[in-house]
Amino acid sequence: MKDVKSGKELIFETAVYSKEAVELAAYVFSGSCGVKVLPGKSATRVLLDGAADPESLAGKLANEALNQQCRIDLAKKNSRIAGIIVTKALLSACGEKTQAKNKGK
Amino acid sequence: MLVKKPVRNKKKLSSPAPQALWAKMDGGRLLTNESGCHAWVSEKDFARVISGRIAEGDPLFAELSAAGFVRGRMDLDGLAAKWRTRNEHLSYGPGLHIMVLTLRCNHKCLYCQSSAAGEGAKKTDMSLKTALKSVDFAFTSPNPAITIEFQGGEPLLNWGTLTAAVKYARKKAAASKKELKLALVSNFTLMTEEKARFLLENEVSICTSLDGPADLHNRNRIYAAGNSHAGAVKWIKYFQKKHGNQVPEYRIFKSSALLTVSRYSLSRHKEIIDEYVALGLEDIFIRPLAPIGYAKGLWEKIGYTSQEFTAFYGKCLDYILELNRRGIVIREKMASMMLEKILNFREPGYLDARCPCGAAIGQIAYNYNGDLYTCDEGRMVGWEGDDIFRIGNVFKSTLKGALSSPAARACVVSSNLEAQPDCSRCAYKPYCGVCPVFNYEAQGSLWGNMRSNDRCRLFKGVFGVIFSKLRRAGDKEIMEKWTVKNEGR
Repeated sequence: MKDVKSGKELIFETAVYSKEAVELAAYVFSGSCGVKVLPGKSATRVLLDGAADPESLAGKLANEALNQQCRIDLAKKNSRIAGIIVTKALLSACGEKTQAKNKGK
Repeated sequence: MLVKKPVRNKKKLSSPAPQALWAKMDGGRLLTNESGCHAWVSEKDFARVISGRIAEGDPLFAELSAAGFVRGRMDLDGLAAKWRTRNEHLSYGPGLHIMVLTLRCNHKCLYCQSSAAGEGAKKTDMSLKTALKSVDFAFTSPNPAITIEFQGGEPLLNWGTLTAAVKYARKKAAASKKELKLALVSNFTLMTEEKARFLLENEVSICTSLDGPADLHNRNRIYAAGNSHAGAVKWIKYFQKKHGNQVPEYRIFKSSALLTVSRYSLSRHKEIIDEYVALGLEDIFIRPLAPIGYAKGLWEKIGYTSQEFTAFYGKCLDYILELNRRGIVIREKMASMMLEKILNFREPGYLDARCPCGAAIGQIAYNYNGDLYTCDEGRMVGWEGDDIFRIGNVFKSTLKGALSSPAARACVVSSNLEAQPDCSRCAYKPYCGVCPVFNYEAQGSLWGNMRSNDRCRLFKGVFGVIFSKLRRAGDKEIMEKWTVKNEGR
């Protein structure tokens, strides 16, 4: 994180943070101040502009980017069970029967 | 399909990486698993469990095996049955249908989450046509048991529509063979003998708000035209008396009350509980405040931290258990519902603590104008000008259409604990749930960030208190009886 003329700049290395995670995090704070995402080869930069407390907001955005990245990583591992639960819940709520392919096991 | 054979451990030791989630607690560890089983181990034993160094002859091996913590020794059918029972809500449609008969209210409660309008506000009452259409919509749910809850504002301000909806719902239930429960949430200030008689004769269960002794209640629940507490107490006593004198023509349900904990409540746990006991109420629901609706703007004044609530909750539970030991019947509702999951592996119908949460798939809120929302909290966000949780309208949508709406799907996906980074590894996952509306209001996204989420901290605190009590044989014995009551519900 560093100070820039109009606010704060955060740098997220692409080795750790996907562009999607940074964009999702930026979206969460888009109502609080100006947020600009600048994708790059080795890092995605985020510019925060016009925040009342730029230091605090930048910290929160960094936390949120980490949270989003963890969620994306988790989805790669858990997407199957998560998908089964969501599908079952939504189809049952509509009154449609779900069929267990593995006989319920 | 290829079926894996059960793993046999040749060394006769528990295998490494037990099938467990864990949390530090009271100098040891609480272990839980996907089936909802739990066990306590000391730190020393935990190290042995984790490294798979518990020999087969060790009593702990047998204990952990029986609860499904030892890989290769799991009764998969039994554990799967437990999982299914605890998650049976995945197999039904929305059971709770909240009808907002009016936004008008004669109270101006400090923490109001219902986004109430003034008593004289215009065009905020549900019309008869909308009410009947809402009942029709509720009955399209595949759930065999439908609960219609009449809310507001103050629902008694729209009495004509309420009575018509009650009668119509009863007719629909008889024709559809669905089980129907009707409930009214009222502040009682407009209750009369005539209205009470109608409600009793039509088997409408009655619930009101009671925040404790008069000064505390009236401080939270401002009623310019009189004494809110006096009205609530008068009619609680009335309905209690009626409940005690059952008649053959219809069932009279025990009335209930809801407590909302504000900052002003935190130092007065005994007085609040004593007030409930004195009125013969056998359940008290120690509900935390959420920063939604008016409460959000007044949070500095009436809100509190999750740690403060947990401390209050712990003191309440201590006192309630003490009263139970003295032979006084009083239960804490949140604990009762959590115990139902922890001890009986059953889903108690607590929509706030489900995976996925009850939004749209477990409940639907019907606004006065026929708009449909994922839940009542979602409706409040709509009233503030953001319709993100709107899923349709009774005149234009079908149930299937509402459940296919982006809002409904987003809530189901985002409240799935399997996809939440912290929740997926939390010891309380088998019993907990997240709230997309809270996350959206407090943290700006439906997913939230559990590491800094106050609701998460609060629920962890409450679970910590409940599990600590369960470790003590005397307290556990009392708390087990709280779930027996649920069986007769």
